[in-house]
Amino acid sequence: MSWVERHALGVAAAATAAVIAVMFYLPVGIVLSEAVGIAPGFPPAVSLDAFAEVLSDSFYVGALAGVGADPFAVSRHADNVASWAAAFLAGEAGLPSFGLFGFTAYQALLSTVASVALGLPGAYVLARFEFPGRRTIRSLTILPFILPSIMVAIGFIAMFGRRGVVNDLLATVGLGPIDVMGTLSIVIVAHAFYNAPLVTRVTAAAWESVDARTVETARSLGASRRRAVLDVVAPQLLPAVLTGALLTFVFTFMTFPIVLALGGLRLATVEVWVYNLLGNMNYREAAALATLETALSLALTYAYLRYEARQAAGSRGANPLQRVPLFPSLGALRSPVRLGVLAYAAVVVVVFVGPVLSMVWTSVTGPDGLTLAYYEFLVQRQAEGSAVQTKPWPAVRNSLTFGVATLAVALPMGVAAAVVTTRKFRGRAVVGALAMGPIAVSGIVTGVGLLLGPVFGIPLGGGWRLQVTGATAIVAAHAVAAYPFVTRSVAPLLGRLDPAMVESARALGASRARALVDVELPLVAAGVVAGAAFAFAISVGEFDSTVILAEGSQSYTMPVAVERYRGRRLGPATAMGTVLLVVTSVSFVVIDRLGGRFERG
Amino acid sequence: MRRRTFLTASVGAASTALAGCITQDNDDGADDDDDEESTLTTPESFDGTLTVATYESFVDAPSSSPGEWVKEEFESMHDGVTIEWQIAENSVTEFVQRAQRDAEIDADVYLGLNVDDLVIADRELDESLFMSADRYGFENRSAIKDDLLFDPQSRALPYDTGYISLVYDENEVDEPETFDDLTTDPYEGTLLAQNAQSSDPGRAFMLWTVDQFDEDGYLDYWQELVDNDVRIFSSWGDSYDAYSAEERPMVVSYSTDQVYANRYDQDMSRHQVAFPNGQGYANPEGMAVFEASDSPALGFEFMDFMLSQSAQSEVAVRNVQLPSTDHADLDEEFDQYAHVPDETVIFSYDQLQGNLNDWVDDWAREIAGN
Repeated sequence: MSWVERHALGVAAAATAAVIAVMFYLPVGIVLSEAVGIAPGFPPAVSLDAFAEVLSDSFYVGALAGVGADPFAVSRHADNVASWAAAFLAGEAGLPSFGLFGFTAYQALLSTVASVALGLPGAYVLARFEFPGRRTIRSLTILPFILPSIMVAIGFIAMFGRRGVVNDLLATVGLGPIDVMGTLSIVIVAHAFYNAPLVTRVTAAAWESVDARTVETARSLGASRRRAVLDVVAPQLLPAVLTGALLTFVFTFMTFPIVLALGGLRLATVEVWVYNLLGNMNYREAAALATLETALSLALTYAYLRYEARQAAGSRGANPLQRVPLFPSLGALRSPVRLGVLAYAAVVVVVFVGPVLSMVWTSVTGPDGLTLAYYEFLVQRQAEGSAVQTKPWPAVRNSLTFGVATLAVALPMGVAAAVVTTRKFRGRAVVGALAMGPIAVSGIVTGVGLLLGPVFGIPLGGGWRLQVTGATAIVAAHAVAAYPFVTRSVAPLLGRLDPAMVESARALGASRARALVDVELPLVAAGVVAGAAFAFAISVGEFDSTVILAEGSQSYTMPVAVERYRGRRLGPATAMGTVLLVVTSVSFVVIDRLGGRFERG
Repeated sequence: MRRRTFLTASVGAASTALAGCITQDNDDGADDDDDEESTLTTPESFDGTLTVATYESFVDAPSSSPGEWVKEEFESMHDGVTIEWQIAENSVTEFVQRAQRDAEIDADVYLGLNVDDLVIADRELDESLFMSADRYGFENRSAIKDDLLFDPQSRALPYDTGYISLVYDENEVDEPETFDDLTTDPYEGTLLAQNAQSSDPGRAFMLWTVDQFDEDGYLDYWQELVDNDVRIFSSWGDSYDAYSAEERPMVVSYSTDQVYANRYDQDMSRHQVAFPNGQGYANPEGMAVFEASDSPALGFEFMDFMLSQSAQSEVAVRNVQLPSTDHADLDEEFDQYAHVPDETVIFSYDQLQGNLNDWVDDWAREIAGN
């Protein structure tokens, strides 16, 4: 056995840690440390005033400001709560407001409920039924995840706006009009647009890994179908559903561009404030807010990982349930389940397909009806654009190159992190939560940190600086953003495997890496493929870090091109958006098809 | 000026593209600026590369960005000079951050500076980021309209200006004649505006209301606007997209809106320009030479060129803004569609200094606290 093979996992874990340190913890540390005032001296005086100011500001925390100002006056706070409760019961007081943080958590909670409600039936349909186009649809469920917010905003306005498709349809049957733009409802629908497919994906993957023999055993022991589902299948799905819910909550808690594009400033969230404070160079307050935001996300992640760790191991891998045909006959359509599926399909068409098609539609309509002028613009820009101008083809090429490279880097990183964090050791949930850092930290903070750190140059002492920019830096940053998704896709399945299998392989002389590649990975192939698609998606959809690290070079990607083609007309940006849509759709179908081969071995 | 040595080293064994770069400051200390007040002389001829940092749409707008024309024209006037554009993704903020962290500034000129950019830069930095233009003999500086000069220290000179106004759809609403009109019933749910924290026109519109209602009254006015269902987006782009999709019939935008509408054969009735009280808030765009520039004389020469009659006539049209000088020669069509208000509102640098942050902050909390 070579040294490399024996230490492959250790080397991968160390390399992962190094990349994460330079491209994540250091940049984020630079920004967040602004919240902490350190006066020189021995020992240095550390001031946490910035946090105290945020926590005692009723704009940020509402009714909790008094508690933040004087956290130890417990009896006074208890009296206040008691007097409020009495007033509330007497109908004299309403529900208290908890400021910007309270509103942010509230809308995230509603968005999570909506995303799970909209995502679960999708997982059921994709995992349990067979129908033409099922695999393609499953591949495309990741699409909403990567769509730039401008495209989604334009699509939503064209679909749900005052002059939108929905209102046109309502008018034909004498209803409406509805005016939902700028309200919390439309923001929540948009959050569900982004996140319900995520819930669908992770849940469908888990459903496909349910061991059919466990169901058969339950049935043979006399359990009804319903009992078997509730007692055998549901527990195996719950970790995946909770993963989807957790990710959705964390994402929507830190929601940024879409909430402003559809809701406006009145629905501002904490992340909006972080962005505006950073833009106004108020680092101290921004860092304090972002730190609190991150602490909350990490705490939730930690709680979830504690839960996941308690789940029983013992699965010997996939022996999936058989799918049943969705439309075996015309008559079968009358069954309640299939009618439900049809109703669900109608909702999917309105919420997901509608906005995307509406966006595409704006790219082919001009002042005088149908036109290809905006695609001609793309071709012309490609042919005649000057060196500094953004051209479509390099954007497509860069997106694909970065996506594939990110996939290649993030897969081993994510699997290494999954292996490390599914080992039994004290504090594993802490390490696991820290490894999830990149999804728990505001993207804006990460972006600014990359600028202040790697782009400006990290001082090494003696006037030396380490600068990291350009294509490789972009891939590294994308991989850091993407690997947690690989880990989250793989770890739950890995954790359920029977440890006896790895132990036998090792007893027979296999290295840890060999056991992983030959025994474990094939059994969790569904998770690896799901992770690969995520890694590609994160890279293709990433905006903030790409713009910052591309600095002056030709490393721009498709979402950057969409943003640059914005102007007085909707056409050029939506035409580029349509190109993005087509290129990524094809990519995801290809990834899933290639992955399918790997899954079948 | 600082001299730097660059050493390159690849970081990460598998890297194919240039990834890491280790640099060292080589501070001689001998030649650092004691030439603060000295005058720069115009050499016989210029050569070398001039790096001009600017906002993205100046060189890369889907319409007819002026960048390419400026580059060709200036290079043809000075053999041996090359203009290199640098897109500042984060406007002048990034250069302030660089100065704060002693990171390299490799641009010579910044194009697209606002009054408030300058106020923020001066607030954050002990030493000015930019050099005074008084150090150079300009040919065209006297042509600048006086009311647009916004920097009391003469570092930034305006090369064009926008006027913030309301753009509305005359099929749906009448022309609003005063600010108070906007809070009345016919205008309920009609206005799209932008966040004063993050958008130039949004900030200008807010400042306009401060001018109109005083710092004690503008928040009350905004409360009335909120009650009348104004919608506030984070960027001009988001709000204009919504306006284009006919989500609402009125948007805070630029007074040159009809130039685009005419250029793209759009329905002019949806592109009417209103100046409440006959006023418009001026948003002059300035340019300045970085204190850190290696070739300040060339930088000032470039600024002088931007103020010349030919550049003023051309750049304004291509950038769809109005010229900052009185000697521009605009074509008739542009003149017809680019509207100028009877009266210009603008806060001076001195008025904004010390106030801007509070005005914006109070405003944002008022809106989001609802």
